[in-house]
Amino acid sequence: MVLIQAIIDGILVGTTYALIGIGFTLIFGVMHKLNLAFAAASIAGAFLSLIVWQNLKWLPVPAVFLIAALGAGVLGYVIYVACFRFIPLKSPLATLMATVGMLIFLDEVVTHVSDGKAQDYPGMLPTARWVLGPLDLRVDYLLVFAISVVAMLLLLALLFRTRLGIATRAVAQQPVAAQLCGISLDRTNAATFVISGVLGGLAGAMIGSSAELLSNLLPLQLTVKGLIVTVIGGLGSIPGAVVAGLLVGAFEKGLETWSVLARDLCVMLLIFVFLVAKPAGIFGKLNVRD
Amino acid sequence: MDYLYGLAQTIGVHTILGLSAYVVLQTGQVTMAQAAFYAVGAYVAAMLTTVWGVNILLAIPAAAAVACALAGLAGFPALRFKGLMLVVATMALGEAVREFFFNFDYQIAKGDLKVGPAGAEGFRQIRYFYERGWTTAEVAGFIWVFVIGIMALLWWMDRSRIGAVLRAVGEDELAAQSVGINLTAVKVSAFALGGAIAGVGGALYAHYTTHVEHTAFGVVMATFAIAYPILGGLSSVFGTLIAVLFIQGLLIQGLPILIGGELRNLLFGLLILLAMNIRPRGLIDERVARMLRGLFVRSRNA
Repeated sequence: MVLIQAIIDGILVGTTYALIGIGFTLIFGVMHKLNLAFAAASIAGAFLSLIVWQNLKWLPVPAVFLIAALGAGVLGYVIYVACFRFIPLKSPLATLMATVGMLIFLDEVVTHVSDGKAQDYPGMLPTARWVLGPLDLRVDYLLVFAISVVAMLLLLALLFRTRLGIATRAVAQQPVAAQLCGISLDRTNAATFVISGVLGGLAGAMIGSSAELLSNLLPLQLTVKGLIVTVIGGLGSIPGAVVAGLLVGAFEKGLETWSVLARDLCVMLLIFVFLVAKPAGIFGKLNVRD
Repeated sequence: MDYLYGLAQTIGVHTILGLSAYVVLQTGQVTMAQAAFYAVGAYVAAMLTTVWGVNILLAIPAAAAVACALAGLAGFPALRFKGLMLVVATMALGEAVREFFFNFDYQIAKGDLKVGPAGAEGFRQIRYFYERGWTTAEVAGFIWVFVIGIMALLWWMDRSRIGAVLRAVGEDELAAQSVGINLTAVKVSAFALGGAIAGVGGALYAHYTTHVEHTAFGVVMATFAIAYPILGGLSSVFGTLIAVLFIQGLLIQGLPILIGGELRNLLFGLLILLAMNIRPRGLIDERVARMLRGLFVRSRNA
């Protein structure tokens, strides 16, 4: 029973991993480039909202979340300009390294802001419980789940119901053809970075909120987890990122009931199992070349 | 003076770390596993000298061999992937190795002291140099013998057929394959060679710091390993050395004196960003490398 409870909790919280995975996947789908600074930018957005909240304690939690999402969205644009805009497409290593530079920079900013320790973050109804038979569900986890699902549905609506979404998908499929149709690559790419940033910032804020703590170690941890989710789900696949996020979340929480120490080791082994048995990921097309 | 010798030691082991990634990057593979092979080299060599009392000249090749074997074994499944997949696969391998050392406990009593790796606490008392009364300068010299040896080996490789094969795979796999190059063999060999070099580096690192801990071998060290050759450029081994001098010498040791330690790491990230925007092919790119080679050749003819 403890295990089932843990797995359900893991699935609920795993939606935040799914959002981070979607961010990585979106950028990879459109640019065919890896943005290693993405998860760090998401947490940096959450820390921005933390600073605002520490000065204005009366702010309601949704407003804090909004600040985190907007802050990470702006950071997404900054990353696009600093690491992608001016570096030639032919040098994939240079863009990768530039995002690593950004990752180190943001990680350091977070360390400074947090004084090197975890900081209190406003929680959503931390004490509320919803007892369902033998299960004891935390209401804030359910809220995290609900907010994430709404955010994902909004993203899908954006991608499949708006002109920007059509442009984004066109660029992902065939950048040259998209350009010939009069789509601005520059603007579409920038928009993708902002959208994924907003999703990431929301996820970062919810990770902090569900623990009522924002840890200074999160930028690196979340980078690793986000990449794992992206690869397990299949590169460039949004449904894959969602399923993989839930899977990793459930796997993690389930293992925690057994041993906290072995948890991270087992998650790393999980990715090796996937790489050997299903290298394309859950929903990805097998395209081993980049 | 001891400070300068200490700096020479740091630069030496970091150069070896960078060179271990240089070989792999030449084949176009981005590896985040170098820190793991470095850790394996450090723990193996330190256990041999400290726990079993083996001579360091035997311990270093042993460390290199173990790291090389691990790299070869991990290389076969991992190198089926390219690009992002490989980054993640090697990152996962690195983290798994780090977690292994986090849980690794093997201590024996030696006199009134317990020595050996102790899980989260790390491996203390690697006092090989200290017990034998080596000075800082002698240790620095010992490290640089290895640095120069490895650089000479790679420099020779770059100019030989092997280097051409590695570059061919890195530039265009399809073209390389169609002239009959066995991609898997080349990639796994480069990966194993990189692992062996990292093993040597780790062995030296463990002995000069006298204390290793699993936290040192995380994603940050893996990032540093690929940062040196990418920043320096993949056209010449000297690029890696210059990048190490730039990062370790100037940014990490020099900047705190100039502007104070607080801002150092902030600037560090930004300077990498700036360098990649200005010189996307590295500080020493093909043009500079050709120019340097031209200077060298002309002076020889004159």
